[in-house]
Amino acid sequence: MGEVVAGIACSHVPFMASPKQWERLPEAERAHLRGGFERARKILEDARPDVLITFADDHFDRCFYDNLPAFLVGIGEEAVGPAVAGFDIPNVRLPIASKLARFIVREGLEGGVDFAFSEELALDHAEIAPMMHLTPRWDVPIIPIVVNAFAPPMPSPKRCFDVGAFVGRCIERWPERTRVAFLGTGGLSHWVGPPQTGKINEQFDRWFLECLSQRRIEEATGRYARYEDLEAVAGNGGHEIRDWLAVAGAMPQRLRPEVLAYEPLKPWSTGTGIMAWSS
Amino acid sequence: MSRYQVDKLLRDLRRDQPLAARFRTNIETVLDDYKLDAEERELLKHWEIRALYDRGVNPLLLLLAHGPAAGKSMQEYAAAMNPKDRPPGE
Repeated sequence: MGEVVAGIACSHVPFMASPKQWERLPEAERAHLRGGFERARKILEDARPDVLITFADDHFDRCFYDNLPAFLVGIGEEAVGPAVAGFDIPNVRLPIASKLARFIVREGLEGGVDFAFSEELALDHAEIAPMMHLTPRWDVPIIPIVVNAFAPPMPSPKRCFDVGAFVGRCIERWPERTRVAFLGTGGLSHWVGPPQTGKINEQFDRWFLECLSQRRIEEATGRYARYEDLEAVAGNGGHEIRDWLAVAGAMPQRLRPEVLAYEPLKPWSTGTGIMAWSS
Repeated sequence: MSRYQVDKLLRDLRRDQPLAARFRTNIETVLDDYKLDAEERELLKHWEIRALYDRGVNPLLLLLAHGPAAGKSMQEYAAAMNPKDRPPGE
């Protein structure tokens, strides 16, 4: 029987892949963030996952408006990335837990979540940049799930939480002894490309982190349920909180949520946070 | 305006370095491969960032394509997106 053993949610700003970009951060903020990632890495290591399921979005490098699923599961033998080079993102090649991935897709299609699936789903900085700090040995097979949190119209925040919860229940139904951790990446508030580029809404970010850490899910998914409302308060990059909500949905009650770090990082133009769910 | 075609061109410019190079040296031949109207062609030729954004072009794609295709800096992008007569966020 499968078991959900831990969850991490964090930002995936690509600058975190570059040592030079870390040097641009003020010392106190850099130390705080590094400490948060170190704690998250230890939580994952102690949880000893056999599989890491990722909820991350895209930046038009894997999916485009010609064919844009709401939830896309990688079911092939391996995941290779990055889809497009840049930002000092290293090349990686990871095995996919394809048998479990296919189980999740089939359970979804028969049970109310119409997953799209791909035999050749590339990885993006959305997975690779955080995993450089969280699973630096690249030794945990993954199941990448791409959430459309970047190209409107998008699935609602509530839908993302519910799909995460569905995947969590799939793990409980999985007949093999498998320890599964979840990773959701993106956000928090940031504006990428529009006139407000560089802005951060620290108040929104801290509210969202408080909601998740106190399990105020209805509030977290409902206050800015409309695309336009979330865009106004958290930016076009703030839609990525959908990936955090999917992880929150997948977490069983016995895993305790905790904010590990948050910094409104001006040099990276991103409200950057890290959360964990652990026993 | 065929926003999809502009978004598609921007996506391609980010992913395809030879295309981005051709965009800088022989732009008409690149634009001919997309179903763009005369206004779109002019806005793209002059990298009228704010006008493209105001017409609904995806800002993430604008930012990602701007460097490789226009050969310009982030500061130049920010200045073009926020002309002095238009306050940020207007």
